[in-house]
Amino acid sequence: MAAPALADTPTAAPGPRRRPRRPDARRRDHLVGWLLVAPAVAYFLVFLLYPALSALYYSFTDWDLRTPARWVGLANYADLLFDDVKYPHFWKSVRVTLQYTLIAVPLTLVTALVQALLVNAVRRGSNAFRLLLFLPVVTAEAAVGAIWRWLYDPRYGLVNSVLELFGIPGQNWLNTPELVVPALAFVSAWQCGISMIIYLAGLKGIPTAIIEAATIDGAGPLQRLRRVVMPMLRPTTFYLAVTGVIAALQVFGLVYVIFSGAGRSVTGGPEQAGLTYVLHLYLFAFRYDAMGAACAMSFVLLVLIVIVTALQFRFVRQEAA
Amino acid sequence: MRRASIYLALVLLVAVSVVPFLWMVATSLKHGQDIYTKVPSLLPLDRRTGAWAATLENYAYVLQVGGLGRAFLNSAWVCLVLVPAKLLVDALAAYAFARIRFPGRDTLFVVLLGGMMVPAVTLLIPRLHVTQALGMFDSGWGLILPNVASVLDIFLLRQFFLSIPAELEEAALIDGAGRMQIFWRVVLPLSTPVLSVVTITSFLFHWNDLVWPLVVLNDPDLYTLPLALQQLVASPDGGRAYYVMAGATLAVLPVIGVLLVFQRRILQGIAFTGLKS
Amino acid sequence: MSRTIAGVTVTAALLAGLTACGGGGMDAAEGRTLTYWTYQDRTPQAGQVIEKIRKDFEKTNPGVSVKIVKIPKDDYNTKLGSAVAAKTAPDAGVLDQPLVSKYALDGTIKEVPAGLFPDGTYFKGALDTNLGSDGKYYGLPVDQIGVALFYNKKLVPSPPRTWDELKQVAAQVHQAHPDVAGMVVPKGDGYGAWMFPGVVAGAGGEMADVPGKKILFDQPPAVEALQLWADLLPSSPRKITDSDKPFENGLAAMQISGPWDVPTIREQFPDLDFSVAPLPYKTAPAGNIGGENSVVFSTTKNADLAWKWLLFLGNAANNGAVADAAGGFPVNTRATPVGTGPENEAFLAQLKVAHARPAMPQWIQINDEIIAPAIESALSGKATPRQALTDAAAKTRALLGWNG
Repeated sequence: MAAPALADTPTAAPGPRRRPRRPDARRRDHLVGWLLVAPAVAYFLVFLLYPALSALYYSFTDWDLRTPARWVGLANYADLLFDDVKYPHFWKSVRVTLQYTLIAVPLTLVTALVQALLVNAVRRGSNAFRLLLFLPVVTAEAAVGAIWRWLYDPRYGLVNSVLELFGIPGQNWLNTPELVVPALAFVSAWQCGISMIIYLAGLKGIPTAIIEAATIDGAGPLQRLRRVVMPMLRPTTFYLAVTGVIAALQVFGLVYVIFSGAGRSVTGGPEQAGLTYVLHLYLFAFRYDAMGAACAMSFVLLVLIVIVTALQFRFVRQEAA
Repeated sequence: MRRASIYLALVLLVAVSVVPFLWMVATSLKHGQDIYTKVPSLLPLDRRTGAWAATLENYAYVLQVGGLGRAFLNSAWVCLVLVPAKLLVDALAAYAFARIRFPGRDTLFVVLLGGMMVPAVTLLIPRLHVTQALGMFDSGWGLILPNVASVLDIFLLRQFFLSIPAELEEAALIDGAGRMQIFWRVVLPLSTPVLSVVTITSFLFHWNDLVWPLVVLNDPDLYTLPLALQQLVASPDGGRAYYVMAGATLAVLPVIGVLLVFQRRILQGIAFTGLKS
Repeated sequence: MSRTIAGVTVTAALLAGLTACGGGGMDAAEGRTLTYWTYQDRTPQAGQVIEKIRKDFEKTNPGVSVKIVKIPKDDYNTKLGSAVAAKTAPDAGVLDQPLVSKYALDGTIKEVPAGLFPDGTYFKGALDTNLGSDGKYYGLPVDQIGVALFYNKKLVPSPPRTWDELKQVAAQVHQAHPDVAGMVVPKGDGYGAWMFPGVVAGAGGEMADVPGKKILFDQPPAVEALQLWADLLPSSPRKITDSDKPFENGLAAMQISGPWDVPTIREQFPDLDFSVAPLPYKTAPAGNIGGENSVVFSTTKNADLAWKWLLFLGNAANNGAVADAAGGFPVNTRATPVGTGPENEAFLAQLKVAHARPAMPQWIQINDEIIAPAIESALSGKATPRQALTDAAAKTRALLGWNG
């Protein structure tokens, strides 16, 4: 996992340094070192640092990509947050995205945990189960969107006919505003394979002695799960929650494909119920030529991500205390 | 009894994962109107007689007319060029960061890691602007160069290189081998696990990526598979489900193949790196 | 040893890949290449028609090759915008009507040269959608499109002519067949909002008066039009009409669509017995006009050739086929429409009474961001049609800074 490994980054590199080397060899090393990192650094400057800084600059301008940008100060930010004539659906897109995140992330984690616990509990066939459960993850989001659009068809779709088997009336999933976000969140839980694999690794890391000790103390399976397994998995859950939230706040491809065609994507589904933050940003950037405003939106999102992540960290620290 | 219920639960969960794919393939094999049945069928059957009626004509259509054939080749080319090039750029940098002492190394590495924190969306528009300024807009180069390095991959590779015992390299250095020789002959061969993880995840990412091709490509002759598939969904006749499912099958099959062949590496690698593709 | 081989293979693959990728723009070496952007083909047959015309053009203009780039309608404006920004705009291409005046204003497209074509070549209505705000022409029409009422002959023996008849027929159908919707009521999305002005015109109204800077879609005709759609919903439940292709599958007795749908349905659903009638109206027959214009981009080095190609698409011999391929009708006064039969009569009748969309650059955004949501909120019952449209009109006025 990336997070804990970060701690030992820069200084502790055990390079070949025990034997002092001649100065010219060291100088040559400097040169080689710089040469080797040069392509990556060039990439970093051109495609990361410069874009990040220029996105910040353009967020203070009125810019359509074709004609020179015009400085407008904080107007983009102010209009986004307060002008519901210019951006009538900005707050709607924030709500949709938060709602999606609040449903999709817990649903994904619970599904992943259940899958991991079950796979971990069996010996025979566990590899095959793991593989099959992982299948949805490697599927392109364009394909995922296409497949689910068809699965959710109110009349010919598989989802409704399965529900009807159990006596549950079929729903008009992608055209009922209240159902759009849950339907999208379900797709995200369908793709929970990565979290499942990471949970599985976490489960394997729990010493069997601890579990056995709990069993001897008379703890049943559910109690063991609550008292022993879940606390041991807390770092894993935390990591998955943080990365899951960051990804969920940026969801785009799935909604773009699901609502593609016949002008549906341009309004984000029925009553903008599927208008996620990044879809809204994309429309302003590429359909209405408002690149400056879109850059401002991207920084508002950046701030949102930082806040949410910080809150999560805080929440965890309080829990631990 | 308990074990049976665990297996039953697993089978149900697996069904939820897998049945959508089966239905995708079934739909792609059906004759036009056979997809419109009140009770969906997981087999390509005639909707009136119920007899077996599979067809490959949807594939023929999407490959030739729908442009999926060309898109398939484009995606393959992009991955064939991009993935090795990216691996090379990342591995060289990672090696230098792990093993070679040069002034400014540690600061530089921290700055690079900082770049990982910026969300992709923030970079999208200015990156497009840079790509346009460099004259690579709407070209194969525009797909490749703006993706040719990854800070995350550099980080992962560096962590792995650090774990290789330094004595091996020192011995080679004393024998008079150059840095590059050590890199090729000693470090890379010892690093196959991490190299394959990075290769496979970056293949999966770029094979599946929709957003960047969507903004950087105009010419349908250059479309990659996800983009061509999205265009099929958005097509003016309302996205015929049997064509779309044939296209989706074509996009998904190679990836499933890769997963089946490299399953151990991929699943272990993900547990090891915590990658989110 | 094997590593060397691997290295060589990778290098070779890299080189091969790079040449393959760089090959795109290189075929201009001999003669002149003209790049033309248009919408994605509606059908494979349409693609063949355009292909033939392209070859004819190359035959009559030796040394010239035309590269046609086809892009789906939803993404077209987006892609064109970024191509113009990247200075990789094509020589010529289709341009959405509201964008003509915008691009004319910022110098992205060329003015039509004086005397390019004799007066009376094009229908005036279609030609005038190419006017810039300075009163000059900046493009040529390619085809014109109107929408009309598709009806299932088994369920609807004779098509309704007025709004009242439409409501009656829809109710009757749904009553007789509870599984079947009376009509596919358009939605509050980009497409529904695009069709809406045609319905408003049926009550004698307009969406806006651009020269007078007045928003009109909060006036009674628009309110009544939206009320009509809302009134139709009880006999046309969304639960039925939101499934894949409800009209084609016989689950909706009527729908509003364009000429492009006729061959598509015939080919895909041969068993469906349907026809097309003019849109029902309240006070007078009316419809909307859409269609494609083509423009020449300022960055072209082949302006003369580009205009020649646009004239070729619009000439008396070709325009019938070109317009048909685009799913519409000819704009050349002497061209003959390809299709015949009652469907075409209906569309042609519709075009004679068609009203153009307000020609202003912001219309796309107003259509998507303001009108579409207003329609949806009225159709979902969250607001009355009057409330929804009054609110939307106020927003539009504020956005444009208009008072009327």
